[in-house]
Formats: sequence, structure tokens, C-alpha cells
Amino acid sequence: MTPLEHYPVVDLGPVMKGMAIGGLGIFHVFLAQFAIGGGMLLCYLQWLHMRGRCRLARRFIDDYFKVLVLVSFVLGAVTGVAMWFTSIQVSPRTIGVMVREFHWIWATEWSFFCLEVVAGYLFFRFGPRLPDASRLQLLGLYSFASWMSLFWINGILSWQLTPGGWIESRDVWQGFFNPGFLPSLLFRTICSAAIASLAACVLINLVPGFTRRERESLVAICGRPLVLMLAMPLVGAWYFGSMPADSRGWVTGGSVPMTMFLTMAVGASALIGLYAIFGILRKQLYVNAATAGLLLSLAFVATAGGEFVREGVRKPFTIREYLYSNSVARDGIAELRQRGVTADDPYPLRDEAAYPSEQLVLGGKVFRAQCSVCHTLGGVNSVIELTGSWSLEQKRLNIAQLQQTKPFMPPFAGTPEELEALVQLIGWIDAGRPDAWEESSDPAVLAEIRRWIDEAGTRPGHASLAAAAGDRHR
Amino acid sequence: MNAVFPTGFPPATAFYLVLLVATLLLHMVFMHYVLAGSAYLAVGRLMGRQWCRRCGWQRLLVDWLPFATGLAITAGVAPLLFVQILYQREFYSANLLLSHRWMAILPVLIVAFYLLYLQKSAWIGRRGWGWQIAVAATAFAGFAFIAWSWTENHLLSLDEAAWPTLYASGDLRYATAGLVARLAVWFLAAFPTLAIELAWQGRLLDIPLSGPAAAGETVAGLSPLRRLAMTALAGLVGMTAAAAVYWPTLPAESREAIAGPLGRPWLVAAAAGLAVQVICWLIAASRDRLPSGLATLATAGWLATLAGLVVLREAIRLATVDLDTLAELHAEAAGIGGLPVFLIFAGLNAAAIVWCIRMVARRAVTPGPGSRSGS
Repeated sequence: MTPLEHYPVVDLGPVMKGMAIGGLGIFHVFLAQFAIGGGMLLCYLQWLHMRGRCRLARRFIDDYFKVLVLVSFVLGAVTGVAMWFTSIQVSPRTIGVMVREFHWIWATEWSFFCLEVVAGYLFFRFGPRLPDASRLQLLGLYSFASWMSLFWINGILSWQLTPGGWIESRDVWQGFFNPGFLPSLLFRTICSAAIASLAACVLINLVPGFTRRERESLVAICGRPLVLMLAMPLVGAWYFGSMPADSRGWVTGGSVPMTMFLTMAVGASALIGLYAIFGILRKQLYVNAATAGLLLSLAFVATAGGEFVREGVRKPFTIREYLYSNSVARDGIAELRQRGVTADDPYPLRDEAAYPSEQLVLGGKVFRAQCSVCHTLGGVNSVIELTGSWSLEQKRLNIAQLQQTKPFMPPFAGTPEELEALVQLIGWIDAGRPDAWEESSDPAVLAEIRRWIDEAGTRPGHASLAAAAGDRHR
Repeated sequence: MNAVFPTGFPPATAFYLVLLVATLLLHMVFMHYVLAGSAYLAVGRLMGRQWCRRCGWQRLLVDWLPFATGLAITAGVAPLLFVQILYQREFYSANLLLSHRWMAILPVLIVAFYLLYLQKSAWIGRRGWGWQIAVAATAFAGFAFIAWSWTENHLLSLDEAAWPTLYASGDLRYATAGLVARLAVWFLAAFPTLAIELAWQGRLLDIPLSGPAAAGETVAGLSPLRRLAMTALAGLVGMTAAAAVYWPTLPAESREAIAGPLGRPWLVAAAAGLAVQVICWLIAASRDRLPSGLATLATAGWLATLAGLVVLREAIRLATVDLDTLAELHAEAAGIGGLPVFLIFAGLNAAAIVWCIRMVARRAVTPGPGSRSGS
């Protein structure tokens, strides 16, 4: 595996690239889970109808399915494709490795997607004209296919955080059935059921033609899958336990934003769960459109928090122990420290003439290759802000030993000259981009940087910390 | 490059190339219906309310275009997957260079998709004719923009020498000599596909194509079948003219790939298929009849043309890439497990899809016992 592949780097200005993929990802996951849970709920309703236990079900199913098609089949399908394109924009190498390793899994998922779309559209178009048994068969196939899509994609996504035996064997099935696979699958299945139930409660109130009593009866029935939320703490704990220890550390105080987002997800889920269990299921409270809308919004908040955490706890990797978030291979650090991270970069800077020296141009290229995937130079998560309180010496030391300065950062992967160029670039921008900037090439400084880099080693931060703890223990 | 496509390549490369071509062909079956269909609708709306009211194809397209778009997107996922295996660096680099401009296809696709549903709605039926024209034209403009963006992206992926300069300039557009002509070839190729598909759809749905039964559907003196023939012939002639304009803009090595051993048999197949289609549609138009045999022959010709074009598209690309480097990556990808699982599930799911369609065709006739009226 090459240490780094050079692609043209997209510049989103003051916006962090993670915000683009994160925002779209949250939206897509919410829609996808709505579709998966919706299929299961509609199967259940059709089954109740056939047993004479819900005479309104057939009509409601047809109304619900129209919404499912308009929302999920359009927005869900296009945002699914958009996830691929956005991943390419943010980290082409990561998505490239995922596609290479799991292309047959993705192709398998595609075959289920085809079944889902055909069964879904047939139900949408012909469902009202079909006898009950055929409707249940069609809904069953639709529901099964959409859940199987989750099954396959879940294996790929959970592999990114917990690749398990794949790291050693490179066996696709060891990667797919990784330690996080099952808890993640169960957790997402419960989320899907809950989202679909809450969406049904919204719809029951919006569809014209039902009496208040009919709405009450439908809410009581559609709220039943929410009982699955009782298992959420247990499955969530299992999922949490499957994460690597350092990832667990980020969400339990190690990283303030990640801890906050986890709290947000857990809090929103707890509020929904409590209302569902005590309000909807025990007290049989009527859920009006406003309450249902609020609960669904909370579900969106929970999804957003959960997805942020899932993406965030992988740091400093995008593929655990294999590929760092800046697309540098874990095993490529040493080589890049000798050869230089910009040595093979064929792309010039966009505004090269605005840089007063070659060293600053080099610094711009180093920033682009190693930092720009998560940081900006003057916007969100700006390196200028983050290093603002550091002295020149501290900048050199802290970046040289980056994985020890902040263990969720990858090790610096470049030569001392490149590191010094990056430090000078930060200083130049912090000084307001003056027209002249003296080059810094003191051999003693470069030798000191080399010593610091060597001292930090090439291992990621969590491995360095574990080794240090081991040494202390001995 | 000295053997007919896909032979002559290392096994892994040939395998993925066949998969790309096959799945791209499937995608085009639906994508052409959407692209040409939305154009047909937009033109129809411009012709006026009376024209549209009499034209059964307009009603059919309004009804089926959203479903066809869903299928086109779904079918498009597979070639998108295989292109990432075959030409990852080239495809990703073009995506990244065009950046926001390229990503704009996604919101545009969502808007165009919803506009197709809007055309089906009772709401638009209650609005003035200007609304109908605007909605149809905007939907078509959206799909046309996506087609243009794909063409631009594809051509940029072939032009590695231009990447650093384009990146440095910050320009998010890539204009090259062959862009318009190539876009015209593929856009116009969509019309014969639409004609074939509507002809078969008409047969399956018992829509009269000609004769006294179709008298009420005659528009501008043309029966539904003759309108299809006109559509197909216009597309075939236009596509040929656009290809003639496109040819000199191709680099010498691409022309060699098309005319040489790699592409020549496919070029012949495409040309023969084109000739067959022209003859079939001329006969159908002159007799105002399309018997099954003639329709089948026209379909075979269409398939030969489309398959030939898709292969030639790859031949042009293969002439520009570093095959030795890519072949190593293809071999590496082919060594990764999972193919048997895909084949098993793809077979089972294909069977399930066929079963669904047959089941619905058999049973979706009478309202079910618990239908809305009875509930």
C-alpha cells in the first residue's frame, strides 16, 4: 500500500469537510432508517388487518406508503448516491479502499436495493388493487430487502471502527463480521423501528378522513414498536463495549464535543423512550401532530448525535489501524518522513503567487495534504486558532509529536523541512499574511525537529500511550 | 489492445470491464427513457394542450417517468461501483476537480425527480398551461444538466495532462473540443431507445399504435406508431451526424482504438444495428404497422447499437489510461472475496423481482376484499 495518493484537494473555504459529509450522512441515515422501519411497521399493520385486529390498517398503509415513496425513494435514494460522491470529495482514498475491499458486498447490497425498489414501486402502484395475501407478500419482500440493505452496509461502516481480524488476515468476511457488526445492526434496527413509529404518529394526524377515535386506535397500534426502545440501553452498552478503549475514552470525557454529542443522543433517545413507554404504551395517551412532530425531531437529534459520535470516535483513523483521517497509510509514516509528504504532489497551490516565499508554498502544500481534511486556515476548526497560544518552539514540538500532543491526531508524516514550512505558514497567516516573510532554514532547528519526530515514533497516539503506560507499570 | 474487446486484457481487467459495460447498458435502458422522455414531454407541452390531450405517449410518460427515474438511479449504482474499481484515480480526480459544480447534479436530480411527480399530481392539472410548460421544461433542463455534467466529468477523467492546470486555475468547468458533440451523440441516442421502449410498453398495456383504434390519437396527421418512428429516426440520424462531428475531435490513439482490432467489431455491430433500426422504423412508418417480428428486429438492432456504443466508449477510455498500473489494481480487487455471495443473492433477488412482477400482473386486477371502499 502506498503511503499517500495525491488527489486534487477540494477547498470548502471556512467550512470543515466533515460538516459536509456529516450533515448529509445524518440526513441520509435518518431517511434510510425511516424506510427500513416503515417497511417493518407496514408488514405488521397488514398482518393485523388480515387477522381482523385493525380494520383501518389497509387504508393507512396505502397513505403511509405514498409518503414512503415520495420521501425515501427520492430523497433517500439520491442522498445514498450523494454519500458516495461526498465521500469522494472529502476523502477519496478512504472511499476507494472501502470500495476495493467490499465491492462484492456493495454489489450484493445493490441487488437487494433493486428488489426493494421494484417491490416498493409495485406496491405503491398496484397495492390498492391487490388482495391482502399478495399485499403482505409484497410488503414482506420490500421490508426484507430494505433491512438487508442495512445488513450489508452496516458491516462496511462498522468495519471502519472495528476492523477486527481483517487487519491481520485481509479477509473480507473477517472484516464484515467485525466486533461492532451485530450490536450496531441491532441498534440501528431498533432506531429504524422507533423512527418509523414516530413518523406514523405524525402521519396519522395529517391524513384527512380519520375520526379522533380512529386516530387514537392507530396511534396505539403504530406506537407498539417503540417498546423495542427498552432494549436500547442494553444494545447500546454492547455497542459501546465493542469499541476500542481509546474510542470509548473520547466519548466519556476525552473529547468535549464527542461527549456532548453522545449526551445529546442518549438524552434525546431517553426522552423519546420514556414518553413512548409511559405515555403512549402504558397510559395510552393520544399523540397529536405537534407532539409527534416534536418526538420525531428529537429522534433526528438523537440520530445526529449518534452519527457524529460514530464518525468521531474513529479518530485519528478513517479505517482503524489502517488509514489515518488525512489518508496517510498507518504504515507509511516512516517513509513519508524520509521522502516528504509533498514530494509526489503534482498539484500546485491555487493562489501560489500570493505566498511570499517557496517555504510558505511548501507549508501550504503540507497543510493541504495533512491537515485540510479536518482543519481550515481561517474558518471552522482553524489551525491558526488552535495553535494561537503556542510559541514558535511549542508549535514545532507539538506538531512534531502531534499524536502525543493530542492522541486523536495522526502522527506528523513529513520531513523536518516540511514541518518547519507548516509552522512558518501558520505564523505568516497569524501575522496577517504580510508581503515579506523571512525563510527559516536553521540547520539546528531542523535537527531538533528531526529529534522530536524520531522521539515520538510512528505509532498512533493511543498505541504510544498504551506503551508508555506499560513502561510505567513495569 | 490488439484483440477484440474484452479479450486481450488480463482476466481481472476483462472481467470488470464486462461488468461495467453490462451494468452501464442496463442503466442506459432506464436513463434514456428518462432523458428522452422528459424532453418529449417538454416539447409536447410546448406544442399545446390539444396536442398533449390527444397524444397517448404524453400521458404514458407522465405516468411512468417517476418510476423509470427510480429504476435509472438504482441501475446506475452498479456501473458507479465498477467504474471505481476499474478507473478509480481517473474518476475520483475528475470528481474532485469539478467539485461543487459536479456535486450540483445531486440537488438538481432531486428537484427534477420531484417535478416528475408534480406532473402526475392533480394539483398541476388545476394550474394554467404555463405552469405545465414550466414544470416539464425545468424537469428536462435538470436531466439535461446532469447529462452535460457526466459528459464533462468523463472527458476530464480522460485528460490527465489538464488536471494540474485546471486545479491551479480554480475553474470548475472543463470545456474541450468534443464535449458538445459527444453530449449530442448520447442525448440523441436516447430517442431510439425511448421509441423502442414505448412501442413495447404500448403493446404490453394494450395501447393501440395505429389503425382505426388509434384514430383518436392522431396528432398532426401522424398515428402513435408514426410518431414513434419519427422520434427514433430523428434520433438515429442526429446521433450519426453528431458522431461524425465528434470523430475528428478524438485523439489519434482513441480513433485507432475504435477503428482497430479492439473496437472495430463493435463499431460494425453498432453501425449494423443502426441500419437495421432505420430500415425497421421506415417499414413501420410506411405501413403504419409494427408486427412482433419487426419490433423484435428493431429491438435487436437497438441493442446492437447501444452495446456497440458503450463498448466504444470504453475503447476510447482504455486508449488513454495506463493499463499496466490499472491491471495490477484490478487483479488485487479480483483477489478479494465475496463474488460467490453476490452471485447467489443477485440470482435470488432477480428471481424475487420476476416473481413480484408476475404476481402483480396476475392479481392486480380486481380490488382486494379489504380495499379502501370496503375498509
